[in-house]
Amino acid sequence: MSRTPDLAVRIGPLRLKNPVLTASGTFGYGDEYAHVLDPKGLGAVITKTVTLKPRAGNPPARIAETAGGMLNSIGLENVGLERFRREKLPKLRALSATVVASLGGETPRELARLLEALGGEPGIGGFEINFSCPNVARGGAIYWAHARRLERTLAMLRPLTRAALIAKLSPDVTAIAELARGCEQGGADAVTAVNTFVGMAVDIGGGRSRLGRATGGLSGPAIKPLALARCHEVVRAVSIPVLGSGGIMNGRDALEFIAVGATAVQVGTASFIRPRAAAQVVEEMARLLAERGIRRIEAWRGCLEPAASPAPAAGRRA
Amino acid sequence: MSRRERARPARGGYRPARIPVATAAAPPALAKTAWRQAEARVTLHRDAGAGHRWLELAMPRAFPLPGAGQFVQLLLEAPAPVLLPRPMSVALVRRAAAGPVLGFLYAPVGDGTRALAALDVDDRVLVLGPLGRGFPLEVEGVPVLIAGGRGVAPLLFAAETLERQGRRCEFLFGARDAAHLVALAETRRRLDRMGGRLHLATDDGSRGVHGTVLELLDRIAPHLPAPRVIHACGPHPMLAAIARWGLRHSVPTFLAMESIMACGTGVCRGCPLPRSESERRRLSRARAPLPSLYGNPEFAMCCTDGPVFAAHALDWERLG
Ligand SMILES: Cc1cc2nc3c(=O)[nH]c(=O)nc-3n(C[C@H](O)[C@H](O)[C@H](O)COP(=O)(O)OP(=O)(O)OC[C@H]3O[C@@H](n4cnc5c(N)ncnc54)[C@H](O)[C@@H]3O)c2cc1C
Ligand SMILES: Cc1cc2nc3c(=O)[nH]c(=O)nc-3n(C[C@H](O)[C@H](O)[C@H](O)COP(=O)(O)O)c2cc1C
Ligand code: FES
Repeated sequence: MSRTPDLAVRIGPLRLKNPVLTASGTFGYGDEYAHVLDPKGLGAVITKTVTLKPRAGNPPARIAETAGGMLNSIGLENVGLERFRREKLPKLRALSATVVASLGGETPRELARLLEALGGEPGIGGFEINFSCPNVARGGAIYWAHARRLERTLAMLRPLTRAALIAKLSPDVTAIAELARGCEQGGADAVTAVNTFVGMAVDIGGGRSRLGRATGGLSGPAIKPLALARCHEVVRAVSIPVLGSGGIMNGRDALEFIAVGATAVQVGTASFIRPRAAAQVVEEMARLLAERGIRRIEAWRGCLEPAASPAPAAGRRA
Repeated sequence: MSRRERARPARGGYRPARIPVATAAAPPALAKTAWRQAEARVTLHRDAGAGHRWLELAMPRAFPLPGAGQFVQLLLEAPAPVLLPRPMSVALVRRAAAGPVLGFLYAPVGDGTRALAALDVDDRVLVLGPLGRGFPLEVEGVPVLIAGGRGVAPLLFAAETLERQGRRCEFLFGARDAAHLVALAETRRRLDRMGGRLHLATDDGSRGVHGTVLELLDRIAPHLPAPRVIHACGPHPMLAAIARWGLRHSVPTFLAMESIMACGTGVCRGCPLPRSESERRRLSRARAPLPSLYGNPEFAMCCTDGPVFAAHALDWERLG
């Protein structure tokens, strides 16, 4: 008889009952799926990225399915800070789940204003700063792909909250390890690796992009090996916890990310296909660990051969 | 051509439902979140002519019953050639002891629907639904249902719901040519049973009126007593033309729209349709929680604000 393994993990000041979070933009503001999946059973719910002003998002088409994945060009459609605070936050609190709010800004100053407004709000356990949206003209992944800028920005944000501060990075950069180190030095509690990969799809009938814009962000199973490699690279570069994201569809996928040293994982596109996907990842992960006789998730983390993960401190801190 | 098929003025005798109703202009309230994802079993799957298939799925007993104009997301079990589920309008709801049976009329056009077409009786499909806001059948008036191509299926479902309210409909059905009037025999049979009246139009004149459903509408409308209400489903250019007609004649008009979708439940924000200028202004002024999940004044989401929209809600210049 195997016991249910202990899945609890720590992200800076935040203790999560298990390492499975919903990825930003794939779980709404937490309440849309609540009738089929109790968010209390998840590590945390990460909300859709909120910006200072509401955003209407990009013109259609915003979705194009490709082999084993999907491109999206949502363009950060969101309700904006005021409505988030007034309408969404009370609903989020009512879920009694651990909530991580995702924040997006075009400048460091905008992010600071968001965090000044929300940093002390009860019911928010952490903030994930979206430094990696591929679908906006300004303040997207390209703007934030500078280690010094990330470091300075996080240093400015750090004093504004005692909740966990997580930096979400784009994979479409020359050296993700450097960016991750910038985040660590700026005071981030954790780094998320990774957001979607920039991709394209062409409708050869019309000779046009299948999206309203030329490019979109690729997510789903198609990106898992790529995301896993980026995650591995980040784990080796920093000693703060890393959250893996990209193509995680089931418990096996989650254990792969944790094996390369991720402290936690995020379930994204899978929720569109099976709204209960995140809960199923928790269940499967627990079962797979139990089958292997592993009693604590920490014992699995970074279990990839040391030769493959030379940095001694990488991802080992709880 | 039978008498029934000919455009023929109605002679009255309608019994508009006595149901307390919101004004026709007011959009239906946000659907309560009642959807589920459940495993269904294929009970019937056959050719429906004109390049279409008819699919019936047995649902678990607890599955909430969809209304006309609502849709579900059909997900094939692995290994499937596509990742995302495919949205499909519910064309039939039949109650059975073991649980409801849902019917769908669809065209295999791409990888997902072609894989669907390969399903055999007793195969399994995951069904997410019921989703979206259906036709507001409580809106008073002589129901004029206008179908283009496979749009016929959800409107037959609407006609049956109206019949239960004691309301008979005028049913306008158009296609390119006679061969594309999909499921015509069944449409006629079901409408006969309900006492609904079928009017046909084809672009090439091979069946019914020579012309579009809009020309058919122009012919029939003057003979129908006011108030009238239009529910339509078909290709977007056709719906745009009907929406403009409804706005011009001040007839409450509701259109079942489509968009490429991922989640179908309002979370991904992937299925925007441009709102009309007046709707944009109204929503920009609104302070209270908006009737849309995100209160986006620029775009409505097809899956949760729709798929059925009032004519005044959308920007037909950008859709037609
Ligand atoms: C609310 C709703 C109800 C629907 N009801 C029905 C129905 O009752 N019967 C039926 O046959 N189909 C219906 N559809 C359309 C159906 O979902 C698409 O035909 C299907 O998704 C195509 O999938 P595929 O994998 O076969 O094709 P794909 O390979 O995904 O696409 C084939 C082509 O169709 C385009 N396309 C895909 N989906 C749509 C769409 N929704 N609107 C416009 N273009 C699209 C693609 O861009 C591509 O060019 C409905 C769609 C919606 C949104
Ligand atoms: C439709 C869609 C919307 C997204 N919106 C956001 C967002 O607002 N903020 C963000 O940080 N990431 C966003 N993402 C990225 C996801 O959070 C996730 O990092 C990415 O999709 C990779 O994971 P997956 O393959 O499991 O989906 C979005 C992804 C999708 C598919
Ligand atoms: S399909 Fe996801 S919001 Fe409509």
